[in-house]
Amino acid sequence: MNEQLELLIDMGRHYAETQDIEVTMGRALERITELMDVDGGALFVLEGGMDDGQLVCHASHGPVDIRGLSIPAGKGIVGRTVANNASETVWDAQNDPSFDKNLDKEHNFTTRSILSAPLSVKDECLGAIEVVNKSGGDGLFVAEDLQLLEALAASAALAISNARMAADVADKEVMRRELDRAGEIQRGLLPPPGDDESSIAGVNHPARVVSGDFYDFFTLYDGRIAFTLADVSGKGMNAALLMAKTASLFRCLGKEDLRPGRLLQRINAEVCETSMRGMFVTMVAGVYDPKTGRLVLANAGHEPPLLHTPDDDFLALEASAPPVGIPPELTGGGPVAEEVHHLDGGALYIFTDGATEGYIAPGEELGADGFQDMIRSGGAKGLSPQARINAIANRLSGASEALRDDVTVLVIDDAKALQERKKRADYDFEHDQQRAAPEMESPVEGPLCTLSVPARATSLKLIRQAVSNTALSCGFNNEVSQDLVLAVDEACQNVVRHAYGGREDGDMNIEIRLDASNYVVLIRDFAPAVDVSKIKPRALDDIRPGGLGVHFIREVMDDVQHMPPPDGQGNLLLLKKAI
Amino acid sequence: MEISISEQNGVQVASVTGEVDLSTSPQVREALLKELGMGKGVIVDLSGVAYIDSSGVASLVEAFQTAKSKGQGFALAQVSETPMRVLKLARLDQVFVIYETVDEAVNALA
Repeated sequence: MNEQLELLIDMGRHYAETQDIEVTMGRALERITELMDVDGGALFVLEGGMDDGQLVCHASHGPVDIRGLSIPAGKGIVGRTVANNASETVWDAQNDPSFDKNLDKEHNFTTRSILSAPLSVKDECLGAIEVVNKSGGDGLFVAEDLQLLEALAASAALAISNARMAADVADKEVMRRELDRAGEIQRGLLPPPGDDESSIAGVNHPARVVSGDFYDFFTLYDGRIAFTLADVSGKGMNAALLMAKTASLFRCLGKEDLRPGRLLQRINAEVCETSMRGMFVTMVAGVYDPKTGRLVLANAGHEPPLLHTPDDDFLALEASAPPVGIPPELTGGGPVAEEVHHLDGGALYIFTDGATEGYIAPGEELGADGFQDMIRSGGAKGLSPQARINAIANRLSGASEALRDDVTVLVIDDAKALQERKKRADYDFEHDQQRAAPEMESPVEGPLCTLSVPARATSLKLIRQAVSNTALSCGFNNEVSQDLVLAVDEACQNVVRHAYGGREDGDMNIEIRLDASNYVVLIRDFAPAVDVSKIKPRALDDIRPGGLGVHFIREVMDDVQHMPPPDGQGNLLLLKKAI
Repeated sequence: MEISISEQNGVQVASVTGEVDLSTSPQVREALLKELGMGKGVIVDLSGVAYIDSSGVASLVEAFQTAKSKGQGFALAQVSETPMRVLKLARLDQVFVIYETVDEAVNALA
C-alpha cells in the first residue's frame, strides 16, 4: 500500500523539519481527507487514562473546525473506537445513539456517514481519526474505504508516536544538560583538592550528577582553619539546592569567625526561616589550629566523625544536637554543644554514610571496620591525607556501576603540623639557651589572652578583667592599668554601640598580645565596615554627654590604628601602649 | 552597681557603688534625672565607685546640665581615685562642682 508508506514518510520528514507535532498532525489529516475524498475529518488524541481521560481534537479538516473540542473518553463514536481499539463504519449517523447532533446543528452541517479508526501503535491506543461523508460516487463508504483509513491511521499513529518519543528525548537531553551544568556549579562550591603538604583535604563522589553532600574549609585571619562537612537528606535537585544554600551560609557566616556551635545555630536559624519542608541537613562544623593542634567541633545530627589518635585508636565522636533544619522552637534553640580535642599528630575523619555503607563488592558494604582499615593501610603506605581519602572514594566508585549514595570524606591531619610545632619548639629552645646566656632579659612576645564574646554591654566586665590582669602582669602600675582598662572598654563599647548599632547577635574577638615591648590589643568585629573618617573625639570644651570614648582611647594609648580587616570583613582596631 | 538615695536637709544624696559601665549607666542616668525633681538639688557620692566609663560620665554630665536648666544644685562628693582619674582625662574635674565630703556638699546646696 503506497499511500500508507508515503504518509508515514511524509509525516516523519515533516516533523523532522518543523519539530512541531501539532502541525504535523494537521498535515497528516489533510492528506488523509484528500486521499479518502471526504467532506471532513478530525483527529482526536487521548489525554489521560481510558477511564477518566479526555479525547481532544488536535486536527480538523473540512467545513467545521472543531480543534480543541474535548469529549470524555468512552463517549461518542470516537470514544467507542478508542475504547474498543477497533475501527467501524457508521452508515446512518443521525440514528446512532452515540452520535452528538448538537455539533451539526451548531454549524449547520449534516453528518450522514462516518468512518472511524483508532490511532494505535502495537496495543496502545493514542486516539482516533474520524472522516465524514464521502464526497464522490453515491456518497456511501465501502469496505475498502475503511481498510484504507485503518492503514493510514496506523501510519499516522506510528508517526505521532515517533514524534512524541523524539520530543521526549529532546526534553530529556535539555534536562540532562541543565543537570550537568548544575553539577558543574556544585563542584565549583567545593574547595580545590589539596597537595601533599595539605593537612586538610576533602573528596566528594556524587552518586548522581548533583550531590546532597558537601564539605568546605578555609583559613581564618590568624591561621586557624574553619571546616565543615554536611549531608542533605534526600538526593537529586532539591537536595542539591539546599546543599548550595547551606554551603553558602557556611562560607558567609563562617568568615565571621563565630564559634562552631554558634555558627551551626545561626545556619539553622537561616535554613529554618525559609524552610524546605521535611528536609534537613546533618552537619559538622569546626575550627582547627595548626599552631597548637587544638580542634573545636560541633555536630548537628551527623554520623559520628572518627578521631584517629596518635596511638592508633579510633574514637567515634557522637552528635550532640539534632540536624540543621529542625525549627529552634522544637529543640529549644541555643548554640550546638562543642567539644575540644587535641589532635596531637592524630587525624579527624568526617564522612557521610555513603562512605561506610558503600559497596566494595556486590552486596558487601565497606563498613566502619573497612573504613578504618583503609585509613591504616593508607597511613602505612605513607599516603598524604588527600591521597588516603581519595583511595577510599575510588575503591567505592570502582566497585560497582553506580554508587549507592554520595561519598564524601574530609580529613584534618595534624601530623605535618605537629612536626612543624616540634621544629619550632626545638628552635625556640636553642634560641632560649642562647638568649639565656646574656644577662639582659629579652622581651617575650606572643598572645597573652584571646577572648571571643558576644558584642553586648554585659560582655564588657569580662574584657575589663582580662585587660586589668594582663596589664598588671606586664608591669604597668595600677594607674596605667586602669587607664588601659578604660581605653579598651571604650573601644569595645564603640563596637557594641556603633559598629553593630545595638544589634545583639554580633560577636567580637579581643586579642591581647605582647609585641616588641608593646602591650597590644586587637579588637575585631564582624559588623559592616565603619567609616573611619567619621570617628573623631569631641572638643573637650564642648560640655555635653557622649562622645568622650574616642578621646579616652587616644589619651591613654600610644597608638590607635584602624587596620584592614582580614578577608575584608568587619573592622579591626589596634591599640598599642609601650611598656 | 548599686545606687541608693537619701535626703539630707532637703538635698537628695545619691550614693553610687560598684562599676558604672555601658550596661549599668542607664540606671544611674534614670535615677539622677528622677531625683532632680525632688528637692533643692542632687549630690552624687562617688566614694564607692570602682569603675566608671564614658557612658557613666555622660550620665553625670546630662544630670548636671538638667539641674542647671532647672536652677537646681548639682555636685559630686567624695570622688574616689578611679573616677577622679577619668574625670581628669575628660577635663571635667574643672567643670563639675566637687566636694571632699557629702556634708560639705549638703551645706553648700541646702
